Parts: sequence; structure tokens; C-alpha cells
Amino acid sequence: MLPYAPWIVWILPLAMMLTYIIWEKISYKLRDAIAVLTGFTAAVFAASMIPDVINGYVVIEGVKHTIPFDWKIANWIPVPGLEISMGVLVDPLSVFMANIVAWISSFILLYSIEYLHGDRGITRYWMLVNFFIGVMELLVLSDNLLAMFFGWEGVGFASYALIGYWYEDQKRYWLGPYSPSHCGMKAFITTRIGDVGLMAGMLIIFMYSGTFNFVELASNGSWVISLAKDGILTLVLLMLFLGPIGKSAQFPLHIWLPEAMAGPTTVSALIHAATMVKAGVYFVARFTLVLFILYNSLGSVVLPSLHIFFLTVAWIGAFTAFLAASMGMVANQIKKVLAYSTVSQLGYMFAILGVAGLLMNNPEAFVDSYLAGVSHLMSHAIFKALLFLSAGAIGHAIESYMLEDMGGLKKYMPQTFIVMLAGALALSGVPPFNGFWSKDAILHALSTEHVFTIYIVLALTAVLTVFYTFRMMGMAFYGKTSRHVKHLIEEGHEPHDPGIFMSISLWILAIGALTSGFFMPSISQFFTPAFSWIGINHEVFLKIPLFNYLSFYVSTLTSTTLITSIVIIIVGFTFAWGFYIAGRWDPKSFIEANPILKGIWTFLFNRWYINAFYYAFFVNGTVFVSRFFFETIETNGGGDILKQGYSRFASWFRKIQTGYLRANMSYIVLGLAFIMLLYLWLI
Amino acid sequence: MLSILNMSNGAILVFTSLILVILGLYAVVTKKNLLKIIIGMEIMATGVNINFIGLSLLKSPRLIDPTSHALTIISILLDGALVGVALAMTLVVYRKFKTLDTDKIRKLKW
Repeated sequence: MLPYAPWIVWILPLAMMLTYIIWEKISYKLRDAIAVLTGFTAAVFAASMIPDVINGYVVIEGVKHTIPFDWKIANWIPVPGLEISMGVLVDPLSVFMANIVAWISSFILLYSIEYLHGDRGITRYWMLVNFFIGVMELLVLSDNLLAMFFGWEGVGFASYALIGYWYEDQKRYWLGPYSPSHCGMKAFITTRIGDVGLMAGMLIIFMYSGTFNFVELASNGSWVISLAKDGILTLVLLMLFLGPIGKSAQFPLHIWLPEAMAGPTTVSALIHAATMVKAGVYFVARFTLVLFILYNSLGSVVLPSLHIFFLTVAWIGAFTAFLAASMGMVANQIKKVLAYSTVSQLGYMFAILGVAGLLMNNPEAFVDSYLAGVSHLMSHAIFKALLFLSAGAIGHAIESYMLEDMGGLKKYMPQTFIVMLAGALALSGVPPFNGFWSKDAILHALSTEHVFTIYIVLALTAVLTVFYTFRMMGMAFYGKTSRHVKHLIEEGHEPHDPGIFMSISLWILAIGALTSGFFMPSISQFFTPAFSWIGINHEVFLKIPLFNYLSFYVSTLTSTTLITSIVIIIVGFTFAWGFYIAGRWDPKSFIEANPILKGIWTFLFNRWYINAFYYAFFVNGTVFVSRFFFETIETNGGGDILKQGYSRFASWFRKIQTGYLRANMSYIVLGLAFIMLLYLWLI
Repeated sequence: MLSILNMSNGAILVFTSLILVILGLYAVVTKKNLLKIIIGMEIMATGVNINFIGLSLLKSPRLIDPTSHALTIISILLDGALVGVALAMTLVVYRKFKTLDTDKIRKLKW
């Protein structure tokens, strides 16, 4: 480990954030270079923690600490009874997350140099993005709930500011009926609803346990017992889960993520791949570990509550996966397709983490499901960053994100087509791309543990995923050249592949999407200290690494799940190929011909009317109530009464102010006497 | 009444300070002349300073507590500064109104 690595990883971006105003005065190129260098420096520090986690211990100033290592260096809040120390937790999960965040965001930063070149607010962009990365690293590395909550709110604020990056709301940045600043506000308010639940749950846990620290929460389970005795354990856990629901855009609060597309594409990539939405998955993964220890030490007392909690997690995840995938099939904008797909893939992660929690009585199954979840997190981070950045390259070239403005781009942008195809194959789970290995692990864990209801939902979702992915590819790269592109060519702006910075990021992420799946056994070895911490002797990794890798590949490729995966891919791809790639059937006339299909299409296109309902009920409801009070109290009737009342009171009260100094002094003495009498009376 | 005569040094000081504060307050409330009001304020300040010493003696009769003495010295210093500012303001008031009678300086009236 480089010295103070877990601290520098999050402090460096936060500190550098304040310096861009200076660099801007010197040179724009220097400012951009420093922004990217900050990202990569933090990433190197994050990567330097990996060997320590694999070794299983950290050496600091000659003292050897085992992993998980809770590194406290200062008293953060030294109030008696509320002693909260500032610390970082070096354990496999936090280091894993820190590396994903740091590396993916570094490549996104590199890409942004070219993508946002010439934009006016780019200094603000670097500041906010650095802040975003810094608070996300704080979130994943902090050892207590309170500091994590600071990071949690920080990413909420940063995403708000970055989604509304084009806050002047020029018409070309609008997303359907919503302006960028509106979309930022929507994201902020929606996630805030979840945060209230998280904060309340966190504080109730603090009341019962007296600590925010994860290690201390896990080591002493009396708080769970007292919560269970008071009958609110389920409630508190579900309140905590409300935070991840909001942050990771799960079912009741999923509506903000599609609107988060109003910002620059790099911001979308950052939010979806590295920083924002992964926070919810991280929190559930972290808390699952804590609850596993408590489950093992406390057993049946807390079982019903944990069961309800994890069942909710699993079903919300599975339902969201299906819901979002169905919406993704009809989205008319390339970034919206990807946004729905993010919601859907996050649903996969929640579903499998929930199932892992349900399988706590069986450590081996728990480990399998848990690892499938976190592996899918990594795969998704890589391929979703890749897909978004490719979509950004298309948008950069043709200045539109509408799918109908694309079409036939393959011959103009061959490189972009190849890298985006890698992302699409990974998203649909085609071997040997990384999405295949992790999605297969999820389905495999579900089928071996006979969780068939969720298995069926997720397998069906996988079909939809393949369909909408190749629909998007087909509409963008195949078919006839659209009128918009023809118009651009006539004007002399022929679409072309992006330049050097964007290409480097795209190609590195494409290689990552192709190869990272092969390292799944390494992830399972990497998490060994975490599992030994919670009391599972995790000996997945055998003495001879090569053999272990081979056995993993062979077992994955010979399992029965593979047949399901292949069927999923074939079914989904056939429809997408017929409709959009080869153009055998015309999707529009096909839907128009059948009233039932037309109805389904309208229902899906209107996002199951959930968004419309929220607007009608909450937004318009609030406006209605406010207008009612404004009209009755402020303008008519009520206003006069208040106004005259104040006026009369003031004309009476100001008679006290005679201007005689002696009178004022007497009031002071009277007040003093009153306070003294009060004091005497109180004691 | 005899118990008053048997009071310790600290208690005597505290009572003295109480009397001084009340006298000062009386002067501030009843006097019209600005200079007299400032004198009353100074008497109050003296009373407060003595109160500090008296309380420290009450708390630890045999030991001289340096904290209260230090605070008192600082307080005396500040008093000096305060009187300077107050007299300067009085001078300005006199130049403007040609009087020091507070009843005639009634610009803060409603």
C-alpha cells in the first residue's frame, strides 16, 4: 500500500476540486491535464491497496493489522457520549468498490477532455466531477454510517448539479418536456425521499447501539436484540433500505434515472457506471455482511425480520429489473434505453443480494450469490461506462440522441460500432464478454438454490435485455440513413469516429468488457478476507491457481444454466434481428396492425404511467395546495386581517419607545429582576 | 446579625461588590447627566471585578486562584478602554447637542 492510500483516494479529489479556479487562469490545457491526472493518481492509490487485501494484512508504521482493518486517525466528533472517530475501513468490499469508482471515472475524465472541449462551464464541470469522485470514495471507504451518509448526500448533490449542468436550459438540451435544471431537481428530490428513510434508520440504530461503526455494529449484536424486542427491527431495516431504493433507482423511486440523461453523456456514464447508483448496491452489500455476522451469533431471534427484509430486497430488485427492461424496449432515445437498462441491471444486483441474505443458513450458497452480485456490479460498471461513452461518441458526431435521427451509422463510424458492439454483447450476456460470466453466475446461483420465481423473472428480463440492446444497435448502426444524418452530410458535417482521447477510453473499456469476465475466480479469492471476517472459511481458491480458473470455466460452460442463457440470447436476438437489424419486418406497421400490441406499446412508452401518476399526484397536488393557500390567505381576506393586525399592534407597541434613556434603562433593570426571580423560582 | 460580622474575607468582598453594582445601577437609571451615567457604569464594573476576586476567595480561601486574578486584570484593562470610548462619544454628543442632559437627546423617539 502506498502511504495513507485509503485516505488520499478520497481526500485528493476533494482537495483538488478547489484549485481549478487557479489553473483556469494559467491555461485551459493545464487545467484539463490536472483534472485527469488527479483522477488517475487517486486510481493508482486505490490500486495500491489490492495487494494488501490479497495478502490479508496491512503494515502501517511497522505494525501488522489483519484485514478488515478499521483505520482510525482522529476523533471527528469528540462530544462525550457521541464519540465518533474519522476512519476508513480497508476490507475487500471497500477496496473493490474504490477501485471500480477510481478507474472507471478516470477513463471517463480522459474522455471528457475531448467530449466537452470548448464548453463554457468546463471549470465548473471539473470541480463537480472531482467532488463527485471524492465523496463517492468517502462513501465506500468510510468505516461508519455517519461519514458514509456525508458521502451519500455528497453524491446526491453532485449528481443534481451535474445533471443540471446546462442550467441555462437551452432548447437543444431538453429531454422531452423536461429542462435540464428540472431533471436535476427531480433527481435530487426523488433520492431525498429515500435519504430521509436512511437517516432515520441510521439514527434509530445509533440510539440502540451507541455507535455508527460497521465493525462495532457487527461485533456487538445487542442492538439487534433490543430492536427485535421492541418489534421495530423489520421497520428499521426497511427504512435503511429506502436509501438504496432512492439512490439506485429501484421500483417506487426509479423515475429519476431516465431524466438524469439531461446532463452531458460523460455525467450519465459517471452516474450509471461508477459513482451514483452503485452506492445503493454497495450499502446493501456492506450491510448484508454485518447482518450475516449477527445472524450467526444471534440466530433465530432476528430471523423473521431478516427474512422479510431480504425478501423485500430480492423482490423489489427482480420486479424493477423486469419493469425497467420492458420500458427500455420502447424508448426512443439512445441514452434512455441505456438508462432503463441500468435500472434493470441494478435490479439484478439487488435481487441476487436479497437472495444471498435469504440463504444465510447455507454459507456456500450465500458466498456464491453474494459474489455473483458484486461481480455483476463490476461487469456492469465496465460495460455500461463503455455503452454510454459510445453513445456519447454518436451524439458528438450527429448532435442528437434520438434513435430515429440515427440509422446506418456503421459505415461512417466503424470504430464506434465495434466498441459499442462489445458493450452490447456484454450487456446481453454473450460469452465470452464479462456480462455473460456474472449474469450466468446470478442465474446459476438462483437455479441451484431453487429460487425459481425470481429465476423466471430474471431470465425473462434477460430476453428483454437482449432484445432492447440489439434494437438499439440496429436502429443506430443498421437500416437506412436517417434524414437528419443526410442533412448533416449535405452541410458537410459527415459523422466520423471520435478523436484520440475518446478513442483511448473507449478501446480500453472495450478490452475490459471482453476480458474482465475471465477474472471472476480472482474476485472470489479477493473477497476471502471479507468472508473469513464474517466466519465463513472460504476456500474457493485452491493451491494451484490455473486449475482453479480452468475448473471455473469448465463448470460454468457445462452447467445447465448455459442452455438457458443461450436460449435467452437466441430468442431476444432473433426478434431484434428481424425487426431492426435485417429489417425483415417493419416494427411500426406491426404494432399499428394489432390493437393489443398497440395498447401494450403505449403503456410501456408512458412508463407504466408511474411517472405520470407521480406528477399528477405529488407535483400537481403540491402546486394545488400551495395555490389554494396563496389565494385564500395571502391575496384575499386573510391578507387584510394579518396586515391590519400587525399595523395596530405596532402602533400600540411603539409607544413604549419614548426615547428617554432612563426609561430604557428601567426596562433593562425590570428584565434583569424578572430573570433573577425566575431563577430563584426555578431552584 | 452577628453572623455578618463573622463573615470571611471572600464573603465580605462579595457583599461589597453587590452593593457597588446596585449603587452603579441606581446611578445609571436615575441620573440624567451622561457623565454621571458613565461614572455609574464604572462603579458597576468595579463591583463586578471585586465579585470575581471575592468568589475565588470563597472557593479556595488559602490558595490564590490565578485565573480569576488574570481575568480581573484583563477586565480592568478593558474598562479603561471602555471609559475612553464612552468619554469620546460623550464629547461628540456634547458638540452635536450642546448639552449632556439625556432627556434632551431624544433622537430615538417614536
